[in-house]
Amino acid sequence: MPDILCCYKWVADEAYIRSGSGGDLDLSMADYKISDYDKNAIEEAVLLAEQHGGTAAVITVGLPDDTKGIKDALSRGPEKAYFINDPAFVDLEPAQTASLLAAAIASPIPYDIIICGEGSSDLYAQQVGPRLAEKLGIPCLCYVQKVELNGSELIAHRKSDEGLEVVKVSLPVLLTVVPDINNPRLPGLRDTLAAGKKPVVEFTAEDLPSIDTAALATTATKAATIKRNSRLFDADAAGIEELVQELKNSGAIA
Amino acid sequence: MDFKLTEEQELVKQNMREFAQKYVDPIAAEIDESGRFPAEVVAKLGEMGYMGMPYPVQYGGAGTDYLTYALAVEELSKSCAATGFTMSVHTSLALGPINNFGSEEQKKKFLPPLCQGKHLGAFALTEPGAGTDVSAATTTAVLDGDEYVLNGTKTFTSNGPVADTFVTFAWTDKSAGSKGMSAFIVPKDASGLRVGEHFMKMGIRASQTSEIIFKDCRIPKANLLGGEGSGMKIAMNCFDHGRIGIAAQAVGIAQAAMEESIAYAKERVQFGKPISKQQAVQWWIADMATDIDCARFLYMRAAWLKDQGLPFTKEASMAKVFGAEMCMKHSIKAVQIHGGYGYIKGQKVERLMRDAKITEIYEGTSEAQRMVIANNMLR
Repeated sequence: MPDILCCYKWVADEAYIRSGSGGDLDLSMADYKISDYDKNAIEEAVLLAEQHGGTAAVITVGLPDDTKGIKDALSRGPEKAYFINDPAFVDLEPAQTASLLAAAIASPIPYDIIICGEGSSDLYAQQVGPRLAEKLGIPCLCYVQKVELNGSELIAHRKSDEGLEVVKVSLPVLLTVVPDINNPRLPGLRDTLAAGKKPVVEFTAEDLPSIDTAALATTATKAATIKRNSRLFDADAAGIEELVQELKNSGAIA
Repeated sequence: MDFKLTEEQELVKQNMREFAQKYVDPIAAEIDESGRFPAEVVAKLGEMGYMGMPYPVQYGGAGTDYLTYALAVEELSKSCAATGFTMSVHTSLALGPINNFGSEEQKKKFLPPLCQGKHLGAFALTEPGAGTDVSAATTTAVLDGDEYVLNGTKTFTSNGPVADTFVTFAWTDKSAGSKGMSAFIVPKDASGLRVGEHFMKMGIRASQTSEIIFKDCRIPKANLLGGEGSGMKIAMNCFDHGRIGIAAQAVGIAQAAMEESIAYAKERVQFGKPISKQQAVQWWIADMATDIDCARFLYMRAAWLKDQGLPFTKEASMAKVFGAEMCMKHSIKAVQIHGGYGYIKGQKVERLMRDAKITEIYEGTSEAQRMVIANNMLR
């Protein structure tokens, strides 16, 4: 009966992100959501717990106000949440998030399997999962699209460019999953209303060892822009010759 | 003063949006065209807990406040006004009177399957000669031993052809005036109940509407709701809270019309630039956004008052008349923004404009709402 812990990130919903006048990202209208692939991670944790008994819980790092995310996550089936929060946890980089998760888990939080989404909807750095496994000293399997669990042995199907890799591993293990693994359930009304009554264990910065200062400095985050030249060429031999030359000059063709 | 929804309310709104995108958007145009009742979606709404939202958990409801329910109606109606209305008329007008006026036995018997969406409810009040003037009804109920015998014809009964449980109204003592009307719960298999003509409607075409004919229809005496003579009171109470649902439905339709208009105006190029750069279009969008917010705040206030146990009749009528009229106005404007394309079947705004009209008519016309508001202001 495995204890399954699932990590999620509470991110700005890209549907509401606007491009500011200076090309910067305007998040003032943004609603927040559970990062897309993390919904697959939660679903897989709940499915495994339903099939094999055991428990499914979620853990996240965020700001103290991010409580709606906790309810959202709990409405999807896990029975408990661990909420690592502090007003200082703004724009953490993956190494810092992984350190906080590892410290809280070592406190200890029981686990046999940890499941993360392959990457987050905002930055998609794909680092928190592998870094967390490294800190905990457990194996990490990425790009997992199918899981079979037999007692203390887990078989993971990993998606790769070459095909499918089927790996057998003993618990404990950390998995990062791709969206093909399942279709996350839509919480019913009662699940949503019950979520607020489930237990939440909080950790603040004071409860955990201090994290390293950020190694990365973000100088700017800009909206992607597409520049078009919009040049018209005549539809005659000279025009075509000109077009070909232009494409060669720009490096579009060799 | 706090304009913030609770986290639960935001999540319910978000989940209903996702539900509607997944199950309703893909079929909304088809069920409008064919007039097919989306039984599969209604069953799914029941499974997900949305068919008895504001009623106690002990009777199978979800136990939410009325505001949360209205928010869900808005979100669902944004995808399909007919499906939103099916949920709203079932919840407000069929379950409402049973919950508010039913005996413990009646609640235990009728509410659980209705709240779970296993049964669908309908509200049969209107008659061919009795619309806004409820007292012009002619249906009668006569006590015969342990049974009431109902005779009369109801019309424009929403959910009529697909309902399992009807709440209906009949005179038990015509001479007693407004205190002579009574309300009854009638199961669809009651002897003497027949579904009459099905109506083909201009809008909300997937919502099913028909005549309901009672010919020597016999129901147990135990199905009398709230005691003899309380029919008029029950009907008016139903309308008060039902109107909040219709106001929310109207806001959903208008919100959809605005979102379609914004998307189209940014894409449609005329005179070398998107029409969203034309001031005329900008002002229409500004007016839409402003009116939609007004209407939304009006229905939210009415729902909030109801949830606080405060009087809300006038406020529900204000929300309904303003919401319905702004919905009609802006759904017409949305078609105008789409130009010729907006007049073509398959464009969502074409459907929205037809759907909008009914919000000015049912559950009390705009004129009836003004009567209610004026009565409150001038007394």
